[in-house]
Amino acid sequence: MNLEKVVFGFFIVLAMTLNFGFFIGDIDNVSHHHVYELYAAIIVSLIATVLKFGDRTQLGAILLSTSLAADLQLITAAILWAAMEGQMDSAHMMVYIVSLSGGALMANFVSVILLISETITQRR
Amino acid sequence: MNSILFMILRRLRRPLILIIVSFAIATMGLTLMPGVDDKGQVWYMTIFEAFYVISYTASTIGFGEVPHPYSQAQRLWMTLSIYLTVIPWFYAVGKIITLLQDVSLRQAVTAERFANNVSKLQEPFFILCSYGQSASLLAKILDEKNMRAVIVEQNQERLNELELVDSKNRTLSLCADAKLPESLIRAGINNPYCSGVVTLTDNDDVNLAVAVSAKLMRPNLCVIARADRVDIAANMASFRTDHIINPYELFGEQLAMRVHALGTYILHQWLTGIPGDTLPPPENPPRGHWIVCGYGRFGKAVVANLERENLTTTIIEAMPDLTECTQCVVGSGTEAETLIEADIENACGIVAGTDNDINNLSIVMTAKALNPKLFLIVRKNNRDNSTLFRKFRADITMQPTDIIAHECLAHMLTPLLAEFLTMARSQDNQWANNLISQLVDVVGETVPETWAVTIDAKKASAVNEYIDSGMIVKIENLMCDPVDHEKELKLVPLLLLRDGNSTLVPDKDTVIVYGDRILFCGTYDAKTAVPSYLNNSRTFNYMMTGVEVPDSVIWRWIKNITVN
Repeated sequence: MNLEKVVFGFFIVLAMTLNFGFFIGDIDNVSHHHVYELYAAIIVSLIATVLKFGDRTQLGAILLSTSLAADLQLITAAILWAAMEGQMDSAHMMVYIVSLSGGALMANFVSVILLISETITQRR
Repeated sequence: MNSILFMILRRLRRPLILIIVSFAIATMGLTLMPGVDDKGQVWYMTIFEAFYVISYTASTIGFGEVPHPYSQAQRLWMTLSIYLTVIPWFYAVGKIITLLQDVSLRQAVTAERFANNVSKLQEPFFILCSYGQSASLLAKILDEKNMRAVIVEQNQERLNELELVDSKNRTLSLCADAKLPESLIRAGINNPYCSGVVTLTDNDDVNLAVAVSAKLMRPNLCVIARADRVDIAANMASFRTDHIINPYELFGEQLAMRVHALGTYILHQWLTGIPGDTLPPPENPPRGHWIVCGYGRFGKAVVANLERENLTTTIIEAMPDLTECTQCVVGSGTEAETLIEADIENACGIVAGTDNDINNLSIVMTAKALNPKLFLIVRKNNRDNSTLFRKFRADITMQPTDIIAHECLAHMLTPLLAEFLTMARSQDNQWANNLISQLVDVVGETVPETWAVTIDAKKASAVNEYIDSGMIVKIENLMCDPVDHEKELKLVPLLLLRDGNSTLVPDKDTVIVYGDRILFCGTYDAKTAVPSYLNNSRTFNYMMTGVEVPDSVIWRWIKNITVN
């Protein structure tokens, strides 16, 4: 067992689960989606991205790109939230934010699948 | 560039994570701290506002307390945040700056940039594996001749010299050990435009290593290597190194050539000279008794070659045991006694051939004082001493590095030139003198251009069409001026290579057949004019017949009318 691997797997899975936690619920119901959950999802996703830096293998490259895709959508959602607050119907705004986080969820999902597939192909 | 980006990212992993975590904690905490606005109401920052405040705090910009003056709780948290975020921020900035100044990273960047530039080269180039005295001269001549060179040199100081040199083209250079195959690959040995590798370091092992790796990577690539030791030269020959240059033997040979065939020597120097230089002045060493000072590798080659010319020699050597010199006057030659002992009064010439420039100058100065009629040949080792040698004005100043450079050039310009020069050496002096006067009549005294023309379907399609249609093309047809066929281009055919047989200075009436290779020597204008007709049937037709055939239908029609 390797602590580095534990941390690596932890952050990747946590990024996905937090993202999922934010995403789940009625898409236009503001009370189903907490801002701190999005915040946590962004932070964890960023950390996961940095952890993936510097792996030169093909798998490492794909892992990094899925993370970058997730970051892009989560940060766009956060910017939208910050910029549109008070200027737009909150239910309407929430639809945009949650759908963006749904996109990020897909990317995080792919990332976790890759991680699992790599683990399974390793014989030891 | 890719690998470098990843290297930077990997090294920045720790500072980046530190920044993310510290910002996350500070931002999060700030949103949780209750504030009181001017109306006495409790308010909380949004995440965006908190992130904004933390961002300008961490980067020490500090806009103050927005949107309302902070409460005690918020100030408490801000105090904590300052220490929490500013330190990782500076840590990361410091790390980035250290990384940019990192020697290995900068080397990686320059190497990568160099390899990139080399791979972009779209014209033939040579790889020079050193930038010493001969290689720098070679690089200069190549540059003058508009040929590209890529330099791999281990010593950064020498490369700095390269940057100061005035050159027409940018010469690419890399500070690396040429012995490593990696360096050769970076220098573009696998590039299809690479036409040869030249290794001229004064270290035989390096030259050997470069020659071996070059031959392994590209067996058909032309490799020119310097070898000072005989066993290394034999080793190089065993894996078919194309040209092996032994500067000592070369020096001796050239000296012998000067003694017995000055014309041939001048022809050699002239054809491989720097463009713009003039014909070297003829200095004919006298025949008689010679004194050779220094019996090292140079001295040995000189003595061997002089004796082959049936000239008698007396050797002056300071350390006869070391140099295996059986019959010699012991001494350095710099003092009058040794020179008198060597019978300087009755000698006709002296060769000061030690590896010390100051001693060499001292020898010839003393010798000249003792016998003013002596023919003085002095060896110049270091180019930095040029001023002294110019001041002294010996009859012949021979510099090994120059000789090496000229010899390399003969092989690099075109393989046919090397072939021509080898054949020219077996001709007598009269022949060479005649050829020189013939060349001077046509191209003048400045160093001419030499180039090869191959008559085949690809490189000379117009000429080939003519031959195919059964017509006779002679060499003199190729020498017409494509602008005015009455005139001749300023060029002379030096060599004709047909089916492996070569003819020196072919006759102008020689009929050209398919596959012929001709070496021309001429002015720069002539060199640029030749390609204009080789592949252009219309121009070539004009040169053959003197008639301009109209191209367009209307002009043909008009011409037909006027003729009828």
